[in-house]
Amino acid sequence: MRPALLLLLACTLAPAARAYQPAVNYMLQCMGCHTPDGSGEPGRVPSMRDTLLPFARLPAGRRYIVQVPGAAQSTLSDAELAALLNWMIVELGHATPQAFAPFTAAEIAQYRRTPLIEVRRERERLLALMH
Amino acid sequence: MNWLDALAEASVRSMAQRTSRRSLLASLGALLIGGAALPLLPVARGAEPPRKGAAPNGGAEDKAAAKAAALQDPQSCEYWRHCAIDGYLCGCCGGSQHSCPPGTEMSAVTWIGTCHNPADGLDYVVSYNDCCGKSTCGRCLCNRNERDTPIYIPFQSNDYNWCSGSSKGNVAYHCSTARILGQAR
Repeated sequence: MRPALLLLLACTLAPAARAYQPAVNYMLQCMGCHTPDGSGEPGRVPSMRDTLLPFARLPAGRRYIVQVPGAAQSTLSDAELAALLNWMIVELGHATPQAFAPFTAAEIAQYRRTPLIEVRRERERLLALMH
Repeated sequence: MNWLDALAEASVRSMAQRTSRRSLLASLGALLIGGAALPLLPVARGAEPPRKGAAPNGGAEDKAAAKAAALQDPQSCEYWRHCAIDGYLCGCCGGSQHSCPPGTEMSAVTWIGTCHNPADGLDYVVSYNDCCGKSTCGRCLCNRNERDTPIYIPFQSNDYNWCSGSSKGNVAYHCSTARILGQAR
C-alpha cells in the first residue's frame, strides 16, 4: 500500500505544465538526430531500431540505454525517461511490451547519475555480446 | 537727387538706431536651427494619408491588427511557428515554411521545439529542418530561439549547422523551414 501512496504523491507533486506523452518527448528529446523512425543518418547517427530490444534484455544494455548522454542528460524526470524508453522499445524497437522488463523510475535513477565516458566503445562491446 | 540721398540717409540712420549689429547673427542662427528642426515637428506625419484599411484612429487598433496579421504570415519572423527558429526563412528564399527552395535538400537531422499557436490556443511540436547544399540565402534572418539552450547543453541547443548531420556532404546551409510534427501534449 505504501509504495502506491508514494507513487500517487509523486504524481500529484510532479510539475504538470510540461508533462508530455512519450511520443512527444521522443520528438522533443531524440527525434532531431535519431529521425522519426529511429533509423538515424547513415555514418552519423546509428540506427537504434535493431538494438533497443536486445539491449533492453541485457543488464549492461539496460545501463547503456539510460546512460547514453542524450538520455541521461535530458531534461526529463526519471519517471518520464522510463516511460519514454519503454515507449521507444515497443514503437521503434518493434517489440511487444511482454518481451522485456519495463524500466522503472528507480532503475533510471540508479543508472543515470553515473556518466558513460566511452559511449562508442561500450556500444561496440554490447553489439559483440548480442551475437 | 537730394531727396533720394535724404531718404537713404534717413532710413539707414533709423535702422542703425533700431537694430543692433548682432541681430543679423541672431536671426540667421534662428533661421538655420529652426530650418533644421522643422522636420521634427509632427506636421509632416499628420499630413500623410491614412494607410489602406487602417483604423480611423490610426493608433493601438492598427498596431494590434498588424501584429495579428504577422503572427499568421509565414514570411514574417513573427509567424507563430517561428518561435524557436535561428536562420533564414525558406519562404523568402524560393521555398516555403515546409519545403526547400529548388537546388537544396532538406536535412533529416534537425532541431525540434514547441510553439504556441494563438489562433487556436494549442501548443505544437515544430521541426526546423534546414535546407542544405547551396550557400546562405541571406534574406529574412529570424533569430527567436524560444527554449533554445546554451551550447553546453548540446541536446537542446539550436546553434548548430544541422546540415552537417547529412551523410551526403551537403554541409552548406541555405535556409530553415518550420514544419508541424503534431500537437504537443
